[in-house]
Amino acid sequence: MLDAIHGLNIALPVMYIVTFALYVIAFFKDNSGLENIKRVILFLTCTTHVFYLLARTIEFNHPPITTKFEIFTVLAFSIACSYFLLELVTDNRGTGLFILLFSVLFQVISSLFIQDLIEVREVLRNRMLGMHVISALLGYSGITISAVHGLLFLILYKDIKLNKFSIIFNRLPSLETLEKMSFISLIIGFLLLTLSISIGIIWLPGAFPDYSFLDPKLISTALVWLVYGTGIIIKLSGIWYGKKVIWFSLAGFIIAMFSLMLSNIFASSFHSFY
Amino acid sequence: MNIIGISINHRNSPVELREELHLNREEIIDFIPKLKDHISEGFVLSTCNRTEIFGAPHSEKVDVAGIIDGLKSFKPVNNFGEKNFDRYFSCGAVKHIFAVATGIDSLVLGDSQILGQVKEAVELSKDLDFAGTITNRLFDTTIKVGRRAIKESLIGEGAVTVSYAAVQVIEKIFANLDKKHALIIGAGETGELAAIHLRDKGVGLITIANRTYEKAEKLAEKIHGDIIPLKNVAEDLHHFDIIVSATSSNDFIVNYDDVKKMMRKRRGAPVCIMDIAIPRDIDPKVTNIENVFYNDIDSLQIIVKQNMKKREKEIPVVEEIIMEEMVQYFNWYNTLEVVPTIKSIREFFEDIRQDELSKIKHKVTEEDYAKLENMTRRMVGRLLHNPTMKLKEIAESGANANQITTQTLIAKELFGINNENLRTEEQDSNWHKN
Repeated sequence: MLDAIHGLNIALPVMYIVTFALYVIAFFKDNSGLENIKRVILFLTCTTHVFYLLARTIEFNHPPITTKFEIFTVLAFSIACSYFLLELVTDNRGTGLFILLFSVLFQVISSLFIQDLIEVREVLRNRMLGMHVISALLGYSGITISAVHGLLFLILYKDIKLNKFSIIFNRLPSLETLEKMSFISLIIGFLLLTLSISIGIIWLPGAFPDYSFLDPKLISTALVWLVYGTGIIIKLSGIWYGKKVIWFSLAGFIIAMFSLMLSNIFASSFHSFY
Repeated sequence: MNIIGISINHRNSPVELREELHLNREEIIDFIPKLKDHISEGFVLSTCNRTEIFGAPHSEKVDVAGIIDGLKSFKPVNNFGEKNFDRYFSCGAVKHIFAVATGIDSLVLGDSQILGQVKEAVELSKDLDFAGTITNRLFDTTIKVGRRAIKESLIGEGAVTVSYAAVQVIEKIFANLDKKHALIIGAGETGELAAIHLRDKGVGLITIANRTYEKAEKLAEKIHGDIIPLKNVAEDLHHFDIIVSATSSNDFIVNYDDVKKMMRKRRGAPVCIMDIAIPRDIDPKVTNIENVFYNDIDSLQIIVKQNMKKREKEIPVVEEIIMEEMVQYFNWYNTLEVVPTIKSIREFFEDIRQDELSKIKHKVTEEDYAKLENMTRRMVGRLLHNPTMKLKEIAESGANANQITTQTLIAKELFGINNENLRTEEQDSNWHKN
């Protein structure tokens, strides 16, 4: 089993790079004939990743969420998998390379530094923690995909405004579609983050008797939640359209990424496990 | 191969002449019987940009002048001379008609309508009994070539007209066109074309505004749209997600303040403004307003030029398809050579049999003669069975032209047959029945 895990640890970044390369070729080359092949390869990569995550969980007797690099591989998987589902549902295939780039980065870093950890803190074996982290990671994947679509929206918006009919104009879906995809992934991300926060709040008092609601991680998470929540309400009430909502979403993403890094910057946070 | 083609197109004739020579369906129906004096089977394709006459002449002598004179007398036009038409023969004719069907010979490279027009011309020819063995196969292959070009190349991709480029930009802004409301200002030719494109793309509701109410009414009826008076346009702008303006007005019809007011009423909801008029109908400064996507003719021409370049790059791909299909077509055509060879060999044997029988006719009884006649018929039949089947097999297997020519030549040489007979329609139909 250990050999298989080590083998998959090498194979996965290669598979992600190959998948990413296919998406790049399909994006830049007319009539490349890769439209269906790239989707199949992405599916195979995601399936292989499932086996890898299961194998790690079984072999090391804990879900792969105990170190930064285990988190990275789960994040790579959840981004790729979420995108795969989004592509399947919407049949918009032009944005894949921008999203899969994140999966490639996370998986390459993870594969380079990940270690075989058998001994971990008892708190990290908790099932509630597993649900909390996995829902948070899926939530972060959602807001990452939303941010990428938001960024693409802004680029396409600028191109159309300036009458620059480049490859971006030719390949990306319409502004309305990008906005819709960004908003749908944002809603999904927001709901999963809400779930993660809820699990965290329920589980927190039992797991950490010395916790504080003034912890910087909790404050920044609450801020992220409020920014996204406000953005969603404004969008749903029809007050703002397009670009303004996208800027809101991007601002939320930047705060969320900052919040994600807080646990490492402020060592005093109870949220620092590694 | 005995196929000829006469082409009056954008390269050899000015638009006025092409328009004058254009034959509508009824005219083609009347013209084909006259054409039958010169061509045994063929078709006539006539669009606003080209008139093509193709077919197989009755004999080896090709009477192009006769066909041209026939066309001139049918549709008298001034200044129509030698320089206004191209002639094609044999391979050149086949290659040309394939090129026409793929759109690489069109004024608008990769024209998407030409294949449909070729199909119509072919159908009409069949309906008028003007299609024979050679042209039927040529028709089928022509349609196949056209379809392959669309499927296997990007020759028809992208907008190559300003009004279609406008639709391409609109599609980059909005996803659900069925929920959008479009306003067309100006019911002239350009406005009409834009309205038709938008309707074809499934825009939910199209409203027409025009200086002449009757013209607006006519276009609205054609595209099942609404009408608003031109004077109300500025006030009602906020109802529309897409605005296409194509009038001949010398002043702005929609100015900056109108659009500013419109955006306030729309609470910033995006709007796409396509100004395809010269001089412009809408103040270009509106492009500075948030969520207003403004394009004029110059910016749309950028898309047109880009797409034309892409299509030009596809020409070699299409030419490759044409070559492949030409090879297959001529392979098939060459197999037809086998039919007269088989017939000649059979006639040769039958002559010998009859000759030998005549020598003994008066030396034997009638009963014996009948037996001998039966016996020799069976013998010749058995002797010729294998060579006949073998030649048919070669033809039906789609073997290459050289092999077929060699085999038929050997067969002719062996029996000393010098068959220069041309295939007749009867032979052709017999061959296909077999």
